Parts: sequence; structure tokens; C-alpha cells
Amino acid sequence: MKRANLLISIFFISLLLTACAGKREINDLALVMAVGIDQGSKDGTIKITAQVSRPGDARGQTGAPTGQSGETSWNVEAEGETIFEAIRNLTGISSRRVFWAHNFIIVINEEVAKEGIGHIIDFFTRNPELRMRTLVALTPDKASEVTATITSLEVVPGEALSKLFRYTDISTLAPHTEIKDLLAAYLSESTEPILARLSLEERKIDGLKPEEGAKVKQIELSGAGVFNNDKLVGVLQANELQGIILFRDKIESGVVVVACPKDPKSEISVELNKQTFDVEPMYKNDEVSFDAKLKATITVVEAGCPFSINDKKAIEQIEKSVEVKLKDDINKSIEKIQKEYKADVLELGKVFQNKYPYEWKSMKKDWTNIFSNAEINVSVHANVESGSLLFQPTISGKEERKEE
Amino acid sequence: METTSKDKRFTAELEKNIAQIKRELGDSVDLVKRNIFFVGNRKVPSVLFYIDGLASVEHVEKVIDAMMYEGNEFIKRNELMISDLQTLIEQHVLMNTSFSMIEEVEKALIAILSGDSILFVDGCEKAFHIQTKGWDTRSVDEPQTEQVVRGSRDGFTENIRTNTALVRRRIRDPELRLETMSVGLRTRTDINIAYINGVVKKGLVDEVKKRLNAIKIDGILESGYIEEMIADSPFSPFTTVMSTERPDKVASALLEGRVAIFVDNTPFVLVVPTYFWQFLQASDDYYMGFMAGSFFRIIRYIAFVISLTLTSIYVMLVSFHQEMIPTPLALTIASGREIVPFPVLLEALLMEITFELMREAGLRMPKPVGQAVSIVGSLVIGQAAVQAGIVSPFMVIVVAVTGISSFAIPNYSASYSIRLIRFPLLIASGSLGLLGFSVMFALLAIHALSIRSFGESYLAPATPFQPNDQKDTLIRFPWWAMKKRPQLADGDTIKLGAHQKPKPPNKVKNPLEMSKDNQEESGEKNSEQKDKSKDESRDTSDITGLRRWKKKSGSNKGEKRKE
Repeated sequence: MKRANLLISIFFISLLLTACAGKREINDLALVMAVGIDQGSKDGTIKITAQVSRPGDARGQTGAPTGQSGETSWNVEAEGETIFEAIRNLTGISSRRVFWAHNFIIVINEEVAKEGIGHIIDFFTRNPELRMRTLVALTPDKASEVTATITSLEVVPGEALSKLFRYTDISTLAPHTEIKDLLAAYLSESTEPILARLSLEERKIDGLKPEEGAKVKQIELSGAGVFNNDKLVGVLQANELQGIILFRDKIESGVVVVACPKDPKSEISVELNKQTFDVEPMYKNDEVSFDAKLKATITVVEAGCPFSINDKKAIEQIEKSVEVKLKDDINKSIEKIQKEYKADVLELGKVFQNKYPYEWKSMKKDWTNIFSNAEINVSVHANVESGSLLFQPTISGKEERKEE
Repeated sequence: METTSKDKRFTAELEKNIAQIKRELGDSVDLVKRNIFFVGNRKVPSVLFYIDGLASVEHVEKVIDAMMYEGNEFIKRNELMISDLQTLIEQHVLMNTSFSMIEEVEKALIAILSGDSILFVDGCEKAFHIQTKGWDTRSVDEPQTEQVVRGSRDGFTENIRTNTALVRRRIRDPELRLETMSVGLRTRTDINIAYINGVVKKGLVDEVKKRLNAIKIDGILESGYIEEMIADSPFSPFTTVMSTERPDKVASALLEGRVAIFVDNTPFVLVVPTYFWQFLQASDDYYMGFMAGSFFRIIRYIAFVISLTLTSIYVMLVSFHQEMIPTPLALTIASGREIVPFPVLLEALLMEITFELMREAGLRMPKPVGQAVSIVGSLVIGQAAVQAGIVSPFMVIVVAVTGISSFAIPNYSASYSIRLIRFPLLIASGSLGLLGFSVMFALLAIHALSIRSFGESYLAPATPFQPNDQKDTLIRFPWWAMKKRPQLADGDTIKLGAHQKPKPPNKVKNPLEMSKDNQEESGEKNSEQKDKSKDESRDTSDITGLRRWKKKSGSNKGEKRKE
């Protein structure tokens, strides 16, 4: 009992000595929601744009209103020789302590990325305050502009950016890249990093003056940037990406548009769902090759021509054309990264290493070459499972009359 | 009482005895002395002492009537000899009242002070101790602190005999034992210890008696005195002795092998040993269905965790670990806090103390001003405080939820011990963050693990883990599934007969065959009834129910085999 008393009193005394060390109130923090990294005005400098949310305006304040400006975020820039210096310079502007743990996204300008993002990866993984699940994206535009663009749907722009990535498994317009994936790819012997791209396009019509045709720029997902080591080497547009995403991410559904079985002018849309994708590495006669098998069940979601799920022949035809189309798509994107960029963003090296660990040892030095010359056989097997809710074709009654 | 000594005895001289009593009691105004002339063939002077207000007037009058007028012919005819007087009165006069003979002055004094009457008859060396207790008592009422939706509405009163009777009414077992003792040098408070012989662990009763006997105090005014004097760990914020107002709770505790301590003049009966989890179990749990009971019990466990930790966790997150808050929530909290001038810890302490103030004020204030306090209180903990910028809206929610959760704990003494613990936890987490919170919580857990209640681990049956007792901790199993008494009980541990799970009757056959079957069934029923009556006749010879069950279950098995 005496010892317990002593322990407890020591504990309380130590509480008094700490003077609340490390304490910082949440309202004394500048919560950074998005970071943009651009080239600085001088050569070799770097410009950081931090988007700090203004909680009072972002979430509405109860109680006495204080200095609300209506803007939900406060975008500030600071420059420095290194990222850390730039961030330190931010503190000279910010009245609150800059707090990074809630950062949604890091947007890197492509010019910066071409010169290498090694130091960016290092900084954002070394800092304990930053989360490893922060999204990373590239942009051909100014990163500062991208982070500051206001969407009308979300209150805080950074939040809107991160939410764009929430449904990448349906849209397949960009890969979902988090900083931990980037780090893993960067550290990997074989895999090269790939980053999602965001671009600014005039997409939104200005609600105040629509008759003038005034448009507002919006951020959209647009493909991915392929890296070689830490340098950006090329860009895959959104339409080239589906094949790559099938390799890397688990996608929930994708859309393929093919011609109608009977009427080549009309189009039929099918939705991919429940696909399995297997990559099997092969090593024969000192040749590396990969067998990629995609098995997909597809659903007909939109038929521009009369189509019945009972029509076996039509289904076979659809399956075939989907297979051809998908195979084509995948082969095209593979060819681009294999021959043009020579960057193994498909994690094929990892797959190979797992199966042939001994052979890998001798090959890893020359992997880039081996990868770019490796044969990748893609086989697609599609299976139409249902026609969504409709079993019978939707035909206008008048058409039917004509046919009869 | 220095003037009395146990050796003092009464004498045969009436005057001396009267003087003795008067001297000992200081001739108090409420001490009534009634001179009665016992009527035989000669008049014998006698004196009745009692305390006005404690003794029932009816009873006293009955005694006086008996002494003065109802002396029967037999007495009147016979010569009254001094030597026979005592036996005569014993056998022929005091027929309507219970009485005993005492010799010692000390005993007589205690009898008078507890409401009985003492009758001195000239020439008798012994005094008559006549039961005339009968002061005003409150009627059996609904318990104030432990209310139930379903369950008996009677609660204990201030009268110890009523209280023991309330329990005895529930347990008609001859093995239910009540032992009496008195504690308190000046108050001489009656204390009864109740337990069920054969269920209670050997040694537990002795331990309770030992601790009660060791109490040397001048007064016991409430069972709280006893609670504090016999608790295992006096410096613990946890209450290791449960007090309850509900006779059904005491009865169930007795059946679990616990010991109940009744104290006179208080409706709170103590139950030992106590497990911590008992404080989170309401009697409703057992009266509602087992599913509802378990659900509300789990809700109460959650309420316990919330009321203990929610404020601390909030303070800890907001002032140290902002990265642990989901971003939208962080923004909301930050927006609410922007106009608050205080650090979160201070804000939390402010609100918690205000809440405690309100609770205390609500308890102490006279009923007519209740409305005023509740209006002002809701302003303080509410929108007005937020608008004034003293607290953030989130803190209001946190404190309110914490407060509401603490009300969900069925036992009042447990809820205040939790409120006590909350403050050190709050300060620790507000000054050291997660580190402080976890260290303080660990210290609390270590403390709770280390304390005992009458030799039983306080956190049992969680630690030490007793698998069988889990049937009645977090969830309550249906009654037909709880076969054994808790580990605490000794000896007679099986409390359930075999095959108690209710079953629907067998499926009805073809309606055409029904009439036949009915006849057969009715025949069977008759035979069953006969069997039952046989069983019952046998039962009367068995006193403990258990033997009966054992026999029955045995016979059941036999029948099954035959089928």
C-alpha cells in the first residue's frame, strides 16, 4: 500500500512538472488539407502551397460570429531551397501552428516530377506528423492552382480532391495512389512508381452567368504519370489506363463499349464486374514471359439495339468483341510502358521474384531491359451473365409492328 | 456508561430496584414509571418502566390490564406467598404478551431503551422484561434509489424487523439464518446478519462477525458507518460493500451465497462480498426476458465506460492527438473551439464541476425551488454557455453524454465512485495526453485488480476468470440455463433441476384421431397427477428442495429410458 501511494504521488508530481508538455489545442492548429508542390521562382527552389482550412467557415460556427470571410480555406505559398525550408517559411505567415496530419493530398507539378521526386518522398515519409495514406497526384497545371480550385460540392477543396479518388475503382480514370504505395514502388528493386494525374479543365458552367457561356475550371482525374526511378518519364492518358489499372488495382467495375452483334452501327455497353486477374510468370530458355489471364463476368447495361439475354448467339458475339477490345486495350497500354517508358509499373518484377527467387538474383540488375523485352501474353475470357434487369429486348411497339 | 456494570443485579426490594433504574437513566422525562397494584387476596405493589414513545401504548395497557383486573379467581382465592409470586404471574397473568425474566440491571436498561417494558414486582428478585416495542415506523414503500420497471415495489424501511421480514418472506427456507448483535457503545444499534446455511461459504460468516465485533465506535447511525468500518481497502475509491434498498436484491444475493448485514434505522442493507460488476446489474435484468435483460445490461456496461472515459478521451484527443480525429470531425471541433478562450482541460473541468454542482444542488434543494435550478442549470450547460463563448458545443455534448451515462448506473454508490475516478483520469489525460490517460487507467485497473471484498477478488468473475459465472456477467443467460450457483457459493451449488428448458407440446396428429388421443391423454394426465400428488406427499418429508429435484430428475431419466 505504501508503495502504491508513493507511485501515485510520484505520478501526480510528474504531472505538475510536465506543464502539459506537448499540448496544443486543436483550435491553435492550422489544419492543412492539401499541399501543392511547384517550382520556385528562382532556379532550384521549391514552392509549397498549403491549403489550410478555416474551420469556422468550413463547418459553420455556433456562438458569436468572429471574422468570417466566407472562404472555407486559406491558401498560402512559401518558397525555399528545400521542402522543409519552404514549410518553415510558412510558419512566418501562419498565425497557427501548421499541422499536417489531416492532409488529404499532395499535388506535384509535373515539371518538378521530371526532375525527380526522391526528396519529396523522403520528406513526406520521414515526417512523423504525416500519414502514409495521404494521396499523391501529379498535375500538368500549377499545383497551387489545383489545390486552390473550389468545387461547389465539397466545402474544403482538399477534401474534394481526395474524394475524386474514392471511386477510381469504378471510373478507372486514374489509379489510386497513396504515399505508402509510392514509397514502396520507389524502394522496390523492380517496380516503378505510377502516380495519378489531375488536370484543370473548363467543365463547370458558371451558375451566375450561364448565358454568356462562362465556364469555371474544375479538377478532374486524367490518367497517370509513369516514373523511372524518381523521375517522371511519361504520361498515360485516361483512356490508356484501364489495362494498367486491371494489373495494379482491384477494380470494381469498368465499362466497355462494343458494337452491336447484329447492327454494327449501334453500340452496346457492358459493365465489367467480378473479374479475376491472374499473372503467371514463366521462365523458359532464359526468356522471361508472363501469362496474364483476365476472367470477367459482364453485364449488359445499355443496349442501343434490340438485345435479349436469351439470344445465345448474340451473347457469344458480345463476349468475343469484349474480349478482343479488352485485350487490345491492355496490349496497347502494356506496349506503351514496356517499349516507350520502359518502366515496370505493373509490379511484374515482384511477381517474377516471388516465383523464381534464385533466377531473380542474376536478373535484377538488368530488369529494365528484360522487362521491356518480355513477352506478355494477355488472354481475356468474358462471360455475359445477365442483361441487368431486362431479359427481353426493349423494342418500341411501333418497330415491332413494322417487323410483323 | 461508567455508572453501570454488568455485575449489578436486582434485589427483592422494590424501592431499591426503582431507585436503581431511576439513577441509571437519570430520571429522564420520557421515562415512564407506572405504579400497579397487583390484585390478589392482598395487594402487591409493582412498578412498570418504559420509555414514552418507544413502547406501544396498547401493549403497555394490555400489561396493566392483566396485572390489575384480570387476576383470576384462582389467584384471589389462594394465599399469595412471596415465593410463588413470580411463577403465579408468569403462569396465570401475563398470558397475552411475550416476556422473559432478567436479573441484570444492564439488560433491563437496554430493554427499556429499545422500547420494551420492565416490570418489578415487590418481592421478586427477577424483573419481567415484557415485549412492548412499538414506535412509529414508515410503511413499506417503493425504494428511492433503485427503481425498476418490472419487479417488486417494496423497499426496506428503517425498521430492522420489517426488513428481515421482507427478506424472510422471499426465502422460506429454514436454512436462512439471522443472527443478531449490537454495535455502537452508545447507540447500541441492532445489527442482523443474514445468510443461507449450506450455501454460504464456510468462514465467510465468521469473517463478517469478526469484523463487526471488532468495531468499537460510540455510534452507528447508518449502514454507511458499518460499510466504512468493515471495507477491505479503506483508501479505495471503489465501494467494496454493496448497499441496497431492495429486498429482492438481498434475497438474490443470499441465494448466491453472500451475507447480508441489516442495520437498524436505515433502509440500506449491506451485502458482502461484492463484485464490481454487481453495480452494473439491475434487478430488472432478471425479471425481463433474458434477451432484453442482457441487452440493457450491455448498454449499462457501455454507459459505465462512457461515463468513466469519454471526457478524458475527448480532452486527450483535442489537446494532444489531433491526428487521431477524423478530418471532418476535427474541423467541426476546431470550428466550435475557435471562440473558446480556455484550454480544453480547463473547459472540461469547468463543465464537469458545473454538472456536479447541479447534481448536488438538485439533491439538496427543497422541492419547491427545483424548477428554478433546472432552468438555470439547463442554461449553464447548454446553448447559452456556447453562445457566450465559454464552452464549445462539442464539450456540452461530451459532458452531457457523460452525465447521462453516469445516471444509467443502477447503484448510486457505484456511480459516485465512478464520478470520483473521472477527475484524476481527466487531469492525467489533459496534461499528458494518451500517455497520462493510459498510465492512469492502468493504475486504476491495477488497483481494482488488487482489492478484495471479504477475501473475494473484486473484479471476479472476470479476473480470476470463472467460466461458469460468465453466464451472469456481461450477458444474462436464461434461468433454465444457469444451472449452478456462482463460484462464491459453497456446498449446495446446483440450483436448477434437470430439463428445465421450456418445450412446446408434441405436434398435434390427424384431427380424426384427436378424439381418441384426447381420451388417452386425459387418462395419462390423471395418472400424472397421481404421480405428482405422490411426489408432493414425499416432498413434505424432504426439507431442502434440492433433494426433491434430484429424485425427480432421476425418475425423469428413468422414464425417458422406458420410452
